[in-house]
Amino acid sequence: MTSAYLISIINSILRMTTPILFATLGCLLCNKVNVFNIALEGQMLIAAFAAISVNYYTHSILLSMLAGVAAGGIVGFIVGVFQVKLKAKDMIVGTSMNLLVSSFTSYMLYVLFATRGSLTGNGMVGLHKIPNFPESMPVLYGMFKNLTYLDVFGYIAAVLIFIFLYRTVPGFHVMSVGLNKEATRSLGTKVDMTQILAVTMSGILCGLGGVALCMGNVVIFTEGMSAGRGYMAMAASSLAGAHPLGAILSSLFFGTAVASSIALQSYINGQITLSFPYIMTILIMAVSGYIKYRRENRHHIRKGKMK
Amino acid sequence: MPLVELKDITKVYGTLIANDKVSLELNKGEILAVVGENGAGKSTLMKIMYGLEQPTSGDIYVNGEKQRFHDPLDAIGKGIGMVQQHFMLIEQFTVAENIVYSKEPRKGMFFDRTAAIRITEELCEKYGLYIDPREKVKNCPVGLQQRIEILKVLYQEAEILIFDEPSAVLTPQETNQLLDTIRTLAGMGKSIILITHKLNEVFAVADRVVVMRHGQVVGNMPIKETNFDELSFLMVGRQLTNTVIPEVEKGAVCLEVNDLHVTGAGSKEAVDGLSMHVDRGEIVGIAGVSGNGQSELIRAITGLLPAESGSVKINGIEVTNLPPRDIRDSGLSCIPEDRYLWGCAREATLEETCIMYLHNKEPLSTGGWLHKKKIHSFVSETLEDFDVRYTSVFQKMGELSGGNAQKVVLAREVMQHSPFLIAAEPTRGLDIGAIEYVHHALLEKKKAGDCVLLVSSELSEVMSLSDRIYVMYDGRIAGEFTRENAVEESLGLLMMGGKLNEA
Amino acid sequence: MKRKDTGRLAALLNTVSLPVIATILGLLLGALIMFLSGHDPLKVYSVMFDKSFINVNYLNQTLTKATPVIMCGISGAVAWRAGHINLGIEGQMVCGGITAIIIGLYMPGPAFLVTLCACVGACAAGALYALIPTFLQDKSHVSLIMVTLMMNYIANYLSTYLVSFPLKDTSSVNANQTMFIDDSLKFTRLFSNGQLSTGFILSVLTVIAVYLVMNYTSFGYESKMSGFNPNFAKYGGVRERRVMYLTMALSGAIAGFAGFVEVFGTKYRYSSNMIASSGYAWTGLMASLVGQYNPFAILFYSIFFSGLTIGGQALQRDFGIPLQIADIITSSIMLFVSINIGIHLFRAGKKQRSEKKEETGNKTPAKEAA
Repeated sequence: MTSAYLISIINSILRMTTPILFATLGCLLCNKVNVFNIALEGQMLIAAFAAISVNYYTHSILLSMLAGVAAGGIVGFIVGVFQVKLKAKDMIVGTSMNLLVSSFTSYMLYVLFATRGSLTGNGMVGLHKIPNFPESMPVLYGMFKNLTYLDVFGYIAAVLIFIFLYRTVPGFHVMSVGLNKEATRSLGTKVDMTQILAVTMSGILCGLGGVALCMGNVVIFTEGMSAGRGYMAMAASSLAGAHPLGAILSSLFFGTAVASSIALQSYINGQITLSFPYIMTILIMAVSGYIKYRRENRHHIRKGKMK
Repeated sequence: MPLVELKDITKVYGTLIANDKVSLELNKGEILAVVGENGAGKSTLMKIMYGLEQPTSGDIYVNGEKQRFHDPLDAIGKGIGMVQQHFMLIEQFTVAENIVYSKEPRKGMFFDRTAAIRITEELCEKYGLYIDPREKVKNCPVGLQQRIEILKVLYQEAEILIFDEPSAVLTPQETNQLLDTIRTLAGMGKSIILITHKLNEVFAVADRVVVMRHGQVVGNMPIKETNFDELSFLMVGRQLTNTVIPEVEKGAVCLEVNDLHVTGAGSKEAVDGLSMHVDRGEIVGIAGVSGNGQSELIRAITGLLPAESGSVKINGIEVTNLPPRDIRDSGLSCIPEDRYLWGCAREATLEETCIMYLHNKEPLSTGGWLHKKKIHSFVSETLEDFDVRYTSVFQKMGELSGGNAQKVVLAREVMQHSPFLIAAEPTRGLDIGAIEYVHHALLEKKKAGDCVLLVSSELSEVMSLSDRIYVMYDGRIAGEFTRENAVEESLGLLMMGGKLNEA
Repeated sequence: MKRKDTGRLAALLNTVSLPVIATILGLLLGALIMFLSGHDPLKVYSVMFDKSFINVNYLNQTLTKATPVIMCGISGAVAWRAGHINLGIEGQMVCGGITAIIIGLYMPGPAFLVTLCACVGACAAGALYALIPTFLQDKSHVSLIMVTLMMNYIANYLSTYLVSFPLKDTSSVNANQTMFIDDSLKFTRLFSNGQLSTGFILSVLTVIAVYLVMNYTSFGYESKMSGFNPNFAKYGGVRERRVMYLTMALSGAIAGFAGFVEVFGTKYRYSSNMIASSGYAWTGLMASLVGQYNPFAILFYSIFFSGLTIGGQALQRDFGIPLQIADIITSSIMLFVSINIGIHLFRAGKKQRSEKKEETGNKTPAKEAA
């Protein structure tokens, strides 16, 4: 492996991480308010579709982003209302929402653009790229080549969410909702509203993820292009213990998994490598789950002996 | 002028009258005890006073002004605070964070946690209730958690504190500390309402006592003008019928527990070297403040919690740490302490609930096949026998009232005709009619020559039914009594961790 | 005795009315979307239903499509009602299908024996594939939901690899697919035209068998109770881990069986992505949820949803309406069912709360619940 190849892989990891990072942040907000939101996948996909559609007509980056964020937010809001207010079962809402979005985007793709499979071209614009290091510094240049502002904003968002949750009063209330809903309600916090807002926010974050997915490196919408990233985000969030800064690390891990599955295609058959991220997700969840389980039990035993 | 006055409060739930024209007043600096049996309407009344429920009719006056509380925040605004029976604490947060919740000190938009700790320390100092503000609530024992609840209410600047059955979950020492705290607070000018059904607490701290029965106030008097007997008569409304205890010849040993050790939920040795036995033809009671290892003991006997060491034998068969089914096979049935957690599933039908455990036994099934017709007639007969009020065996358990649901669980366990029955808190939350029914069923079981282990935190229940009584304290047997030598005072003393004087 | 029968009838009516209302709402939403994209909903629906249920040739297609959907729905119901959220039915079906085609293509011997082996092999493969996540959940407390989901992707990619390389029919240049199985192995077709085969009868038999297992055996009872309240089951002597493994194995085996029937009954070969792209597993799961785990309701809804898909294909040809309209209707029906179930639970929750009040603040023996 040449160093140039390695650098390009790092670059690819950074790009692959962004959508997962946004979805992971969305997922951890849901975790914090104790809403099991399996519709992250659908939130990303609808956002990607909305962004590309608006992009197609307006060629405006800002409007496309807004459309993506709004679409994700709306789906998140619906999921939140269904689960929190209407007490619908999380699994059923999430699963049907994902299926609904997936069929709806395919339907609209044909109705609006008379095409199937994917939509690209027609002068659609991509996200602005960040200023890069000069080419005289090839390592840094290669690593940060073609990164968009959204790629950078993901990490900023993680830090902002960390500050919000762990340092501010509203964040304190948000976390208390997930820890003990009844107690929080009795203390006067609007529990249902907080939960719905958190799920809506997860939709907005997934929306950013969807925008990064379809307007990042290549400007394209493909049917089902979220390809399980919403589910990976759930794994990433649980791996990070729903901590925003931990989410950066776990998202990078899954970004690496996706990027390496693409990179390895030059050595191993593509169909096999494509399954790597999913296998790695299962393995990492199994290992971390096992360790966590052991640790909790040991804690009990130790405390028991002290007494 | 009284500080708080409730006038003619009536609360109706559907067809039930929970409070029927209840009036009551509270003066400044006074400790008022509200006593009554389960279901007498005490909790409903306090929920109305704290804004958790709206009265159907009647008014609340604070300082002579008429008030309407839509939610607890309104009540808190008028200086009314409530220390609830189930703590409203967020266990993963620290003590300080819990105390300042909803009135957090801020620095700009940020939560000033340093100030929260300082505030907590000042509060502790002021009321003499000490606790480490930095500790996580989940690491605090129950007594301290209650202290946090009290501090929380005090931080909200409450002048009136309602304590709802505060000693139900406490150990005796903790109870004593709590009673001291209540006295101190009253001394500082706070007014206190203590809801309880434990008369010894009433006599320990209260200035005045209000007795409730069937949703009405049946007595209201200064504590000096009344006595134990009068209050218990008022609470129950009649002399308790002396249950006729059938005389049954004692048989062979049925349950034998030897030096049993069980680790409870993480923190401690819940059952700590316990030995006991139950013989055929007797009802053996376990008395004790709840949380002294009774629940772990039952779960260890029934195979739901592993025993660290020691042995459990049923009918001479070693059953320690066997799967629940095998233990049941050796002749055990069990009315669990929490009927909705262990005893049934809310979504299951009555029929499904009734056949649990019997579902893979003759005659209800052979070789894994259920005999629907036999099940149907068995269930209908059982439910009729036990006077369960239901409309259809396909009704869901969640649709039954608590008393009826308990009867279904009881019916199922009794119909197994096992030689040994565990009845854990069999009457918790039931009304008097249902309680008598359950007691009757347990005595019938004894008459049939079987034996019953009755675990209850209601001392009166244990004393009226048992032939022999063990007192359980801190995971051990603190004392053993026969029906003849069981005296309430001695039992009470042992339950609280005291020692009997060697005479 | 009489009152008990009315009780059962009332319960049945209750179960039936929720999905029916949801179905009507779903069709209305579909009509709205069609109307907004410039079509006359009535006309479109009449064509849609004609070319799915009424016209015999299309009905044949509908039932062919429904064959694996029914089995996937049953597979989902078996696991879900026991409280195990199996979202990996697709992957389990893929495993069954691949195993079936490998045995079908490469095992020598009489047709009967090969078919039997393929059937058993497919069921075993599906069951094993379902047992992996079960094992992980049991041993390291990993969410069954997540692992089963991930394993769909894995099964899909690996099966695509298999049919693109080792098993590829080299004579077809463009498509990645295997060769056809021998004619002697193919299931008998029920009608001279149309693909409907004896596979459909097998799926109906599966429905009946599972209905019997679920309602007339102690295993079915135990798995149902574990789903309602695992504590209650454990307390009552149910060996809950054993029931969990058995339930998941059965669920996976039925999914694997569906894969076998699809290969031997309809497609006769395995082409890349053929199971995932048709969405059998998800349609089946929706039928299972809308039918509230009742096998006969699942049979009905599987056929209904499959019919919508077949009708949707006709719409695409006749009106240029994308066939995904069928999936939109189906998934929104499920969404509506979820709220209905929610309202249902909400009512139950209210009852529980009032009952709690009753316990603390009641003086008379309560009898308001009925």
